Amino acid sequence: MRKILLIGVALTAAVLMSVVVMGCQKKAESAAGGGQAGDKITLTMLEYQNVTDESEVAVWNTLLTEFKKENPNIELQIDPLFDEAYHNKLQAMAVADQLPDIMFLWPGKRTGAVTGSGKIKDLRPWLKGHESEFAQTAVAAQGPNGEIYELPEQVTATHVMFTNDKLLNELGLTYPKTLDELINQGQVIRDAGYIPIAMDNGGGWQMQSCFLSALAERTAGRDWIEKALTGEAKFTDPEFVDALKVIDTLAKNKMFSPGINQADYGQALTDFVTEKAVYFIDGGWRVTNLVTELSDDQKSYISLNVFPAVPNTKGQEESTSMVAGTGYGMNSKLEGARADAAWKWIWFYSGPVGSKIRQAEGALPAYNLPVPEDSDPMEKKLTSFIANTPAGYVIDAKFSQESMGVLQPALQEMTLGSLTPQQVGANFEKWIAENEPTRQ
Amino acid sequence: MSLPVSEIVRDETRPGRSFLRPGAVTRKPSRQPSQKSGMTMGASKRKSFLILLAPAVLIYAAIIIFPIIFNTGLSLTKWSGFGEPKWVGFGQYAKILTDPVFLHGLRNNFLVVGVSVFGQIPVGFVLAYIIYRRMVETERFFEVMIFLPITISPVVVAILWNQIFSTSGVFTQLVRVIRDDPRYVFSIFENKQFAIVPILFVILWMYTGLYMVIFIANLQKIDPEVLESAKMDGASEWQILFRIIIPLMVNIIFTTSVFAITGSLKSFDLIFVFTGGGPAHYTEVVSIYMYLNTFRYYNYGLGAAVSMIIIVLSVGLIYMALGVYRYFASRYE
Repeated sequence: MRKILLIGVALTAAVLMSVVVMGCQKKAESAAGGGQAGDKITLTMLEYQNVTDESEVAVWNTLLTEFKKENPNIELQIDPLFDEAYHNKLQAMAVADQLPDIMFLWPGKRTGAVTGSGKIKDLRPWLKGHESEFAQTAVAAQGPNGEIYELPEQVTATHVMFTNDKLLNELGLTYPKTLDELINQGQVIRDAGYIPIAMDNGGGWQMQSCFLSALAERTAGRDWIEKALTGEAKFTDPEFVDALKVIDTLAKNKMFSPGINQADYGQALTDFVTEKAVYFIDGGWRVTNLVTELSDDQKSYISLNVFPAVPNTKGQEESTSMVAGTGYGMNSKLEGARADAAWKWIWFYSGPVGSKIRQAEGALPAYNLPVPEDSDPMEKKLTSFIANTPAGYVIDAKFSQESMGVLQPALQEMTLGSLTPQQVGANFEKWIAENEPTRQ
Repeated sequence: MSLPVSEIVRDETRPGRSFLRPGAVTRKPSRQPSQKSGMTMGASKRKSFLILLAPAVLIYAAIIIFPIIFNTGLSLTKWSGFGEPKWVGFGQYAKILTDPVFLHGLRNNFLVVGVSVFGQIPVGFVLAYIIYRRMVETERFFEVMIFLPITISPVVVAILWNQIFSTSGVFTQLVRVIRDDPRYVFSIFENKQFAIVPILFVILWMYTGLYMVIFIANLQKIDPEVLESAKMDGASEWQILFRIIIPLMVNIIFTTSVFAITGSLKSFDLIFVFTGGGPAHYTEVVSIYMYLNTFRYYNYGLGAAVSMIIIVLSVGLIYMALGVYRYFASRYE
């Protein structure tokens, strides 16, 4: 027994020793490497990446290889994180004043606490003269004085009503022009065993971001949203309640996926790709998935539309909701050569080279690039959709994350039948009036 | 065993009995320590204690005491992580205690505590008793099977059960086929009052095995001769259980209750992965409420206040359990 114990202790000690020695060696090597290459610039980067997504990682590796080829003197020390873990770390680093040199940022409120802290550099001096090379929405102001904290990689339409035209034809239906027409199709679609509108709202944000925002543009419009920010307009106004009523009507008429508020994000996509649903409401980013998930035959009859006309339209008709995409920003402490090196990455990623690489993999870059002839049919459809569809604000890009913690569960309750559209509007208005910084 | 360097010390409070003080310095009995040398010894001992304890106390202060004090102060402020915290007194507490989302979460938490204390512990004890008294064949098999869930990570357990009950899960698909209803979903999750029930079931399933093992370990400490003599005296199985075993287990029941209460009030991982607290906060518990406010909405003051409430509730419930324990302990004495 004692012998076994001694062997165990010896083995553990040996493993620990080797780990320590290896660690020391690695540290010494990296220090030596940094010392030898005189003008080599090493930058730390907090990267938003799902490392379990093979296609995402493959695109990332291509980008990195190309960047290293172009900039052999810049070394990136990358720390990839995803979802809440990323946001928690970014926030903690910002609070501790230990932000990395480069970080992934959102144009709106998602990383608003960090971008608004004064710890992120305004990219306008570097971007000057290149503005016209980007889609107009992409270079819109992100800060109170027109600052641009991150260079958007893409422009995102948060509402697309993907339609299976083949199923519609088989059921003897055509794409509806109005809400009433759509609701009348519901019974026919359900009787045939299909889901009328595939949507998943387990996370709560989908209904707000991918649907309510577009509806609010129809019934209220951009100006009304601007007024709601300052308190000139209220969420109890008919303009906003009318948008809520559309969702309520659809829920009451069983138009959405059954158990919509329980479904994890991705369930609706599966239902649509496997042709269990006629319509599918989600963001334009879903095209990346459809490029790989749909067969060539399917791609010929899947179309991208906006939701049909709704009653009491005061904003733009046949509109969607659009927002500038995410991108990289840099620490405000960076100066001189280090700041220039950070910009090289930012420009590489969202500029012509990185955009071309990402476009080849199904992304719709914010940088203006001609659509390649050989690009996927779904990408061509999305490019056409973005170019020809008027757009309004996405609500969660204008109002705080915390306010979404009130609106989104209220939308879930409304679709579950526990709250009326008027109550949702009243609850949201009450919270906004008491807490939203723009109303104070 | 010889005792060359230890001193046999007379326990003056219990005449006739003596005990060993291991490691005590050998002294010649004839030499009485002077007042001065006694003080020197005391000072030296105090110094030793200080040197030995200081590192542990410093670490404890840094990672436990300081965060508690800091957290208490933080709970009286409004702070988003940037700039100076704004003093709001008990404003955060007032906000929390009037927030229907928090109150619903608290109600869910009490249900989790309830199912832990009045579900896991009794069921765990009954299962342990059945196995200990060999009322079933192949008791080892049952022991392993019941204990198995606790060896799986709560995150994995949550994903597995979610896969069963989700809208595309096994259970849902099966019922859709049986009832020929393609729109069927497990609608209990859409009911504000009962959405927490499936989670309570999973918690019961998962942690009962842990309490069973604790009870089995303690049941095995009971001298079998006591039970045999009770049987020879004609005691029934019920009498053995209620007159011998439960009185001997009171302190263990108390300990497991403390585990169950503290574990339940901070329960987070399983529920967060299972439902994320949704839909519409229906399955939210206090720790998720704290997490969302602190790390998603950056309301550090409010999050700190919620954590203080969790501590107060934990201590309160543990004292209640202690009261119940003392009542039964005195009764069985």
